[in-house]
Amino acid sequence: MSTNHNNIEGGEPSPAALGGRRPRLHPYLQIIMAAFCVTAAELLFKRGAMATAHDPAPLGIIGLSVLGSMWTWCGIAVYIASFLFWLNVLRRVPLHIAFSIMSVTQVLVPLGAWWFGNEHISPCRWVGVFIVLAGIFVVAGPAMKAEEQL
Amino acid sequence: MTPDILLLCLASQLCLVTGQLLLKHAMTQTNLTPIPWWQVGKLFSLGIVILSGWFFLWGGLLQRKDLSYIYPFEGMGPALMLLGAWLFLKEKLTLQSCIGIGLISVGIAIVATS
Repeated sequence: MSTNHNNIEGGEPSPAALGGRRPRLHPYLQIIMAAFCVTAAELLFKRGAMATAHDPAPLGIIGLSVLGSMWTWCGIAVYIASFLFWLNVLRRVPLHIAFSIMSVTQVLVPLGAWWFGNEHISPCRWVGVFIVLAGIFVVAGPAMKAEEQL
Repeated sequence: MTPDILLLCLASQLCLVTGQLLLKHAMTQTNLTPIPWWQVGKLFSLGIVILSGWFFLWGGLLQRKDLSYIYPFEGMGPALMLLGAWLFLKEKLTLQSCIGIGLISVGIAIVATS
């Protein structure tokens, strides 16, 4: 894990370093698309998990029984779409920047759980979610600045 | 929050971060010419196996708790990622990063006790 051909402080590989290849979609747009796919997948996984919650678990604590629901398989399909976007992103964007931007799912998933899953989210829990999000932005800040300077 | 749920959350996040570090390393190799396919394949496969571990741990957690309750634990990911980058990629941790990690921890504590 010692070699890294990107600029670790936030740089993307130049087009020359990529052999002149340019992505079809902007990498940052792909991060947002991946985030929406992850949100949809998480909601589908939750639906699948609830549908199989009373099934006997073959390996105890490991949630293998979730595979018995079609919702889970739909979630897997959407997750694979997200994964393909993500692999393209990883080729161009430093991991800590990409991962931090993906944290927009910290807001999207609870919103989706509340909107589609009728889950109750207390004000205190919302405060916690947004403090986590603020922390993530603080962590991502220096890397973002380094990216802008390049 | 019970200790077993907390441990499962931590284990799932460790699997997620390790898998992502391996995938990042593999995909960075594809920018080289010629592409070292053998090394890319090894790193990619290992990353996928570890991410599969995360998937099943996450599935087990979803069966027990509300999505909105456990999902904020994913907020540990960037903090652990920064730690992983510091340990394995020798990246420098700044004061701002440490403050951010502190905020994330406080947010998680609020969510876990609410």
